[in-house]
Amino acid sequence: MTDTEHPAAGTDARRTLTVAIDVGGTFTDVTLVDRESGESWKAKTATTPPDFERGFMDGIRKVLAAAGRRPQEIAQVAHGTTVATNAILEMRGAPAALLTTRGFRHVLEIGRHDIPRKANIYSWVKPKRPVSAHNVHEIPERLAVDGSELEPLDEAAVRQAAETIKARGIEAVAICFLHSFADGAHERRAREIVEEVHPDAMVSISSEVLPVFREFERSMATILNVYVMPLVATYVAKLNAELTKAGIDAPLLLMKSSGGVTGAATIKREPIQTALSGPAAGIVGAVHEADAAGLKDVITVDIGGTSADICLIKDGRPGVTTKSQIGDWPMTLPMVDIHTIGAGGGSIARVNSAGTLSVGPESAGARPGPVSYGRGGTEPTVTDAHFVLGHLPERLLAGEMEIDLAGARRAIEDKVARPLGISVHAAARGILEVVNNNMLGAIRVVSVERGLDPRDFALLPFGGAGPIHGSDLARLLGIRTVIVPPSAGVLSAIGLSVSSLRNEFARTCLQGTDDFDHKTVRTGFAELEAEAERWLAAEGVPESGRAIEWEAAMRYRHQGFELNVAWSERAVNEAALTRLVDSFHRLHEQLYSFAQEDTPVEIVTLRVTATGRLPVPARAALTGGGPAADAVIAHQDIFVGDGMRSSPVYDRARLAVGEVVEGPAILQQLDTTTLLAEGDRATVHPSGSLLIETG
Amino acid sequence: MAERGDDPILLEIIKGAIRSAQAEMSALLDRTAMSPFIREKKDYFIGFFDAGGRLVHSAGLPLMGNVIQPVLDRFPLEEMDAGDVYWYNDCYGSAGGVSHTPDQVIVAPLVVDGKVRGFSQTWAHFNDIGGLRPGTLSPDADSIFQEGTIVPPVRLYAAGRQNDDAVAIFVANSRYPDMVRGDLRALVAAVRLGAKRLGELFERYGDRVMLDAFAESERQTASVVGQRLTDLLPAGTYTFADRVDTDGHGNGPFDIRFDLTVGQNGRMAIDATRSADQAPGPINFLMSPSVPAMTLGLYAARNDPSLLINQGHIETLEEVKLRKGSVLQPRFPAPLGLRGTTFVKVQQAMLGLINAATGGQALAANNAYSIYYMSGMADDDAPFLLTDGLAVGYGARPTADGVDAIYFVGQENYPVEFVEMGFPIRIRAYGLNCDSGGPGRWRGGCGIVREVETLVDNTRCSVRIEGTKNPPWGTAGGQCARAGEVIVNPGRPDERRLPSIKDGIVLKAGDVLRIATGGGGGWGNPFDREPELVAQDVANGMVSLDGAKADYGVVLDPASLEIDAAATEATRRDRRVEGKLFHNGAYLDEMA
Repeated sequence: MTDTEHPAAGTDARRTLTVAIDVGGTFTDVTLVDRESGESWKAKTATTPPDFERGFMDGIRKVLAAAGRRPQEIAQVAHGTTVATNAILEMRGAPAALLTTRGFRHVLEIGRHDIPRKANIYSWVKPKRPVSAHNVHEIPERLAVDGSELEPLDEAAVRQAAETIKARGIEAVAICFLHSFADGAHERRAREIVEEVHPDAMVSISSEVLPVFREFERSMATILNVYVMPLVATYVAKLNAELTKAGIDAPLLLMKSSGGVTGAATIKREPIQTALSGPAAGIVGAVHEADAAGLKDVITVDIGGTSADICLIKDGRPGVTTKSQIGDWPMTLPMVDIHTIGAGGGSIARVNSAGTLSVGPESAGARPGPVSYGRGGTEPTVTDAHFVLGHLPERLLAGEMEIDLAGARRAIEDKVARPLGISVHAAARGILEVVNNNMLGAIRVVSVERGLDPRDFALLPFGGAGPIHGSDLARLLGIRTVIVPPSAGVLSAIGLSVSSLRNEFARTCLQGTDDFDHKTVRTGFAELEAEAERWLAAEGVPESGRAIEWEAAMRYRHQGFELNVAWSERAVNEAALTRLVDSFHRLHEQLYSFAQEDTPVEIVTLRVTATGRLPVPARAALTGGGPAADAVIAHQDIFVGDGMRSSPVYDRARLAVGEVVEGPAILQQLDTTTLLAEGDRATVHPSGSLLIETG
Repeated sequence: MAERGDDPILLEIIKGAIRSAQAEMSALLDRTAMSPFIREKKDYFIGFFDAGGRLVHSAGLPLMGNVIQPVLDRFPLEEMDAGDVYWYNDCYGSAGGVSHTPDQVIVAPLVVDGKVRGFSQTWAHFNDIGGLRPGTLSPDADSIFQEGTIVPPVRLYAAGRQNDDAVAIFVANSRYPDMVRGDLRALVAAVRLGAKRLGELFERYGDRVMLDAFAESERQTASVVGQRLTDLLPAGTYTFADRVDTDGHGNGPFDIRFDLTVGQNGRMAIDATRSADQAPGPINFLMSPSVPAMTLGLYAARNDPSLLINQGHIETLEEVKLRKGSVLQPRFPAPLGLRGTTFVKVQQAMLGLINAATGGQALAANNAYSIYYMSGMADDDAPFLLTDGLAVGYGARPTADGVDAIYFVGQENYPVEFVEMGFPIRIRAYGLNCDSGGPGRWRGGCGIVREVETLVDNTRCSVRIEGTKNPPWGTAGGQCARAGEVIVNPGRPDERRLPSIKDGIVLKAGDVLRIATGGGGGWGNPFDREPELVAQDVANGMVSLDGAKADYGVVLDPASLEIDAAATEATRRDRRVEGKLFHNGAYLDEMA
């Protein structure tokens, strides 16, 4: 398939459907949206590892059937994938080799030569590198920092290395030479030679993956890219073949870590861009739902079985970071700024020898899972604590699953209550308090690192275990409003169906603002913009849907960390520079409590972001449902104040717009459960979200 | 439910909040500080203290004395204001609270209802605060007066107003005033943030709960650490001694000798009085008595991240005896700049004591990290100063190889591309130092090699590597590490070898300084190491072919690196030597 065979923006007027597929660990969620009418349909199928494409196609067929639509009406297929993420986390990528500049064979082994600050020097072990030094090949060649050549590329050495790589049966090759961010010619030539000698090799060069200084991080990004490339490429090819077979003639768009989608052709070249694909899709969905309810400043907490992902959205835009981590590895490509902590429904509660109660990061996961699921779990978890306190309906998945409440109570009694000398209820509450406070600390770090007060935000909990913690977390943070979207358990699929195309282009370009070289910066931006335009054209985005933004990564001279500052208009001149520097001072002050106007400022990296807007689906207002009193489907005991009190359980789907529910209460829906504490007041917003005012 | 600070659940919450506050302060410093020492190498420390100066929580860096006491001595609690910020770097004046002058200690009090409830503190290593040479510290120093401006405890801010005059004097004494100014701002912002977070906790839970929580967390730590040490160390008296090679002035070696007494009741005391007399050169370590205890405590609690690092670590030792005039308790004004050398020997000696008491159940030793300085004028007449930290290999463990190429906790290297972007310097090679790890059943970690070329004439440089004469010892049959070396222009007609501690080196454009650092000691008999692991080490450039044979008795095919099983078995049978508890060039039953 060529890059332009399927114009992504759906110029064909007859096709109005976007189908979005989010493949999770257990379930595959599919959403179909008619971008014109705003109608949408959902389907859920089992995830089918290792042949994920089976569940993927099942889901599409199921949702089309539910909607009564034809495959030919689909204009885009949007997909969030964890293939790359899992390959990295589980170290199941392709055997890979690295070509590096002579003298730097151990660039990976040395890394940044540190022991992590939280680690103990007597017990920490350096994580195993994805490529051992044995498969790192030194190539005589050298550039200076400005890209000028000090030593030509030794082509014979490249050839020799390629032969060795081929003989060892390695097919994933990364090339990262020093200072290649300034000029990628040596890397490109080396790639040509490797491809010539070893035609089966997949080669990735650092000047394309991440042309930004710091050799360890750039090498690692390039290696991880090629490490996941065979898996992702095979997967994407399979999906494309299946789609064609099913008569779907629409581009496959994949969600990137930065919160936009891009065509399969880009992802085949740069699969590492999907490292945070799934979580990013959830954030896009959260932004969409918050916006529909009129909220622009939101903190999202996505709580699953083993972890909680926290993200801060300001003015309707999630933060994007270029300094994060995946597994043990640094990740310096743009990613939605998500802070992950090991706290989820499956997190295990323990009392250690010193008499302290800890919750997580160990998790019972999906198997054996919480004790209450009766699948062989023996350690008390957060979910078990919820059951004991009556926070969850005693039947899950519409009655498909039996709950072992007695088992949960016994586990908490034996492993927490008795060792601490407290009651089972107090122990269960303690477990929740500890886990909520872990999340609170993480939310604080996320918001305060950006100089913002969480109380100025609304809280949007999502994921299967999110809405049950929303009210408590908001109260701890001093947040007054909680928003629970209609499909809070499957927000990633929503995000996929409403996302835009997006790609980022960056280049290191060190400039002091006191002796600023306009020409270099102008050329730098012009080249990045040309790259961006080429990408937009390749994705088939019409002129009217294109947007390009400039940013500069800046710091005070001598600092080592850059802040990304928007370049207010796309022009390089004195006025723009003055505005830029001023914005930098203000941002520094906001984030860190002080600015230093007496200190020179530097630009380190130029960044260009290209966006291709897809037609935004019209929104269908929530219809149906009835008065709250008619939506009560059961009563059960919920722990309130100092004892259990009988409280109503509502079927959320039966609540009409404008209906009000007061806590204590449980609101049940297929994909999640919302808990209202005493004093909470939830109103159904016309967009379908619940808006909870905390008491 | 009435809230109490010793309620186990509340206590966990408060501990978590203190850890988060520490993480926030770290993030702020990383992002705003200017000295590469702070922002890339992360040479800083964050701690929280109660109003009496007792440690509530800190980083796991056992290099500190009572940092708050010097402030309390000068400024009575009742006169403190919420807008105050205190500052000092006076080593002798603080009795080792801070142990060399570039570390600026900055403290903000937490005042609640007019009463001081605690302190948020950080110290960080500033790039240059005056002194004999660029970068402040020099092996040539023979007095602390050559090691930069001395700041006794002063108010950097009084009731919210900065003491501009004091700052002006301090900044004027630095060769790199912009950095000093920027670093002070970053540290002040960090301690204020810390005090604010601590204040929020007091507001949320009230004084009594918080003070109870501090006490309970200290009790927890003390009880776990105390129990682990009692379980580990049988009653008796143990001695361990090691040597610092030189003080850079042609003197040495200097003995570091500890006697540890463990009573029948589990009470422990340390006597360091038999250590050498103080040195004329700057390797003296004005050791706070809390250092040995903190080191033992961190070792004992190594697998227990739920504990806060606090006063409970320190009070496990009943007594620490020091001798005035010794290298561990020098008299004013002996120079202290390179105390890192001796500090790391002290740390290793604690492991040595545990090995002596347990027959080698702890780790083998490692060197101190290395540093070199390069300074001069860049092409555009701007002065430059590069202070570049170099990793070493860490000691092997009873269950694992030593870690390769480590500098220290939380401290990152300067990327090659960062160095070349900011300095008239080219890094020609940067890799692991093959064969430097001590041979053992578990191999000691490898040090590194860095080849640095200056691009300008008249580059002044100073360098310090450790353990060239007394490399890190091995234990339980493991052998000692191999030493590093410093060479100018290797392989050229004008090649010359330098002493391990040296200042005043002058290089011209095109000269290359090659620094190789030592590895860590090995653990267990190297002839017991699986041949497959040895072959892997050879393939990965950590052990040479010759080393495989000589050190491990493993014979490999030079081309394919296949193991020659018969030759290996024969070599191992014929040349096997039974090890002893320690190895320091030769096997020894004790190092005393």
